[in-house]
Amino acid sequence: MDSFLQGLAMVFNVQTMLFIVAAAVFGLFVGAIPGLTATMAVALLVPITFYMDATPAIAAIVATSAMAIFAGDIPGTYLNIPGTPASAAYVGESYRLAQKGRARETLGTNLICSVIGGLFGTMVLVFVSPSLAEMALNFSSFEYFWLALLGLSSSIFIAIGSRVKAFLSLTVGLLLSTVGLDMMSGAPRFTFGVPDLMAGINFIPVMIGMFALNEIMMFYGSRAEARSVPVMAKDSVFANAPGHVKTYWRNILRGSSLGTLIGALPGAGADIAAWIAYALGKSRSKEKEKYGTGHIEGIVDASSANNSGISGAWVPALVFGIPGDTITAIVIGVLYMKGMNPGPTIFMNGGGQVYALFTVFFVANLIMLPIGYLAIRASKVFILTPRKLLMPVILSFCIVGAFAINNSITDIWIMLIIGLVAFVLARNDFPMAPAILGLVLGGTLENSFMSSMLKSNGDLLAFFERPISAALGALVILIWALPTLIRLFRHWRRPAQTDQTPRSS
Amino acid sequence: MRDFLLGLAFVIGGGVVIAVAQTYPTMPALQYGPSLFPSLIGGGMVIGGLVLALTRIGQLRIAFAGPRSQTPRYDYRGLLISLLPCALIVFYILASEWLGAPLCMAVSMLILMLLRGARPWLSLVVSLVVAAAIYLLFSRYLLIPLPEGTLLSQILP
Repeated sequence: MDSFLQGLAMVFNVQTMLFIVAAAVFGLFVGAIPGLTATMAVALLVPITFYMDATPAIAAIVATSAMAIFAGDIPGTYLNIPGTPASAAYVGESYRLAQKGRARETLGTNLICSVIGGLFGTMVLVFVSPSLAEMALNFSSFEYFWLALLGLSSSIFIAIGSRVKAFLSLTVGLLLSTVGLDMMSGAPRFTFGVPDLMAGINFIPVMIGMFALNEIMMFYGSRAEARSVPVMAKDSVFANAPGHVKTYWRNILRGSSLGTLIGALPGAGADIAAWIAYALGKSRSKEKEKYGTGHIEGIVDASSANNSGISGAWVPALVFGIPGDTITAIVIGVLYMKGMNPGPTIFMNGGGQVYALFTVFFVANLIMLPIGYLAIRASKVFILTPRKLLMPVILSFCIVGAFAINNSITDIWIMLIIGLVAFVLARNDFPMAPAILGLVLGGTLENSFMSSMLKSNGDLLAFFERPISAALGALVILIWALPTLIRLFRHWRRPAQTDQTPRSS
Repeated sequence: MRDFLLGLAFVIGGGVVIAVAQTYPTMPALQYGPSLFPSLIGGGMVIGGLVLALTRIGQLRIAFAGPRSQTPRYDYRGLLISLLPCALIVFYILASEWLGAPLCMAVSMLILMLLRGARPWLSLVVSLVVAAAIYLLFSRYLLIPLPEGTLLSQILP
């Protein structure tokens, strides 16, 4: 009980609450501007959280990411341009609703669904994480090796688009993770005689390069946009929203649970959760024909799924140190910086810290209601902020943010080189999430493999001798074999169908 | 075409990684040394790059076989402009010790704003105010030693 009260006190104080509100407004701004993602918002925030205490730092990140995901719906509704990739799935639906003069009603429903989704994901985090952590206490290097490999494998096989490109993107991240002194032998690898690289590549400049500098370069590479002032709706924000929630409560529940599950899978974040929830919602709907014409049901599933995905991604991040998405990949680094090493022990000896963390999630999601309401009323300000003024400001933040981590010019060079590489890869449709997961999980994968080999005297079969390790290993092999199995299944079904066709006719 | 070239770049990059990894010392007690993971990653880059390049050969043939006018023109101007932020970062790295961080940031922001057609007076005001604000926030409140600039320290008392 003392820990619980201690946790509450860590959150409900003026300083932390102010940070949460400021972070939510920052997330709102970044999320509402097309081209700026929630991950970019968090990457830009990290250099500032570096100088905060652990609880306000985490609170700021949670509030920023949750708010940015909702705010992505604002330009989606008014301009048909998703503010963040997580809003892309249902942007057509919300835009058509706005054309019918129901923009505020749509955004109000989006907001409530986002809050419910976020709270649902938080409930799962609160109730599932401690029991998972108890189980994870028995994990050894064998299990952690498989978990890291599971995370990396799912980042390739769950990614949308080319698997070869996802795999190559992963190798870039893994290669970056090997830079520095080898943990076992102490031999320097890929350091090129630069002393700053001996400790390895700091992932914050990498994140800033991949998600902020890359976007800035994309912006200057594209044609100048002429954004016209949209017709602003005058309908009520919340008048019809409760009715929609009542009608589509099953969709919200389904979207939230699906989003939490997908968010918890490494490599799949809020955007994939929204796409799958939208597709599932459509296939289960009684009014399928209304989808695509501006149907409120079309936004309910996905807008609750993307916010629950944000919370769900924290489950593996906190319990195993395996990030569920790119945002939690950043968060893991922040947790280490703050001395809150992710892993099962965080629940055992964290004291009030864990309760503070859980409380932060509730507060950050609930605070979305008032701030989101005001944002919907003042949508014009956000969607018409000129990017030609904003992007140069972000570039300055990138430079100073990369420098601030170690006060080193080397980190600015790292950001620049990674930004260039990311720009080339992203322009050619390489996904970035596998690279980030490779960078974050590369060390865990290599160290757990090496420790396991030392323990087992080089016997590879030892990876299948412990029951959980064997189960995780089988799961990894299943994920690898899944595309072939699906192809075989389709191949097997096709002749069967063609055999049946003549018979039926 | 670009996928084919990127595939080849990964093959070459992977080869270099494997070659560099072979120079790492081996550990007497273990079969596996610090070269194992970089070699595996390099191998993955070679295989993945080959798969990417080989799967694009068909598209490459069509592109070369078809009339030249059908291939879309590549936007080289856009590519050059997108490299400008990188050039300005290099400018910051090289000039900030002398000009100081606030001035370098202000110049970079001003150039980028004008490039995209922002009003000159607005660009000047925004870049100066934002550069000063960022400098104050990071340097005074977060105590980050951003370069003050020898030029500025010589002029100011």
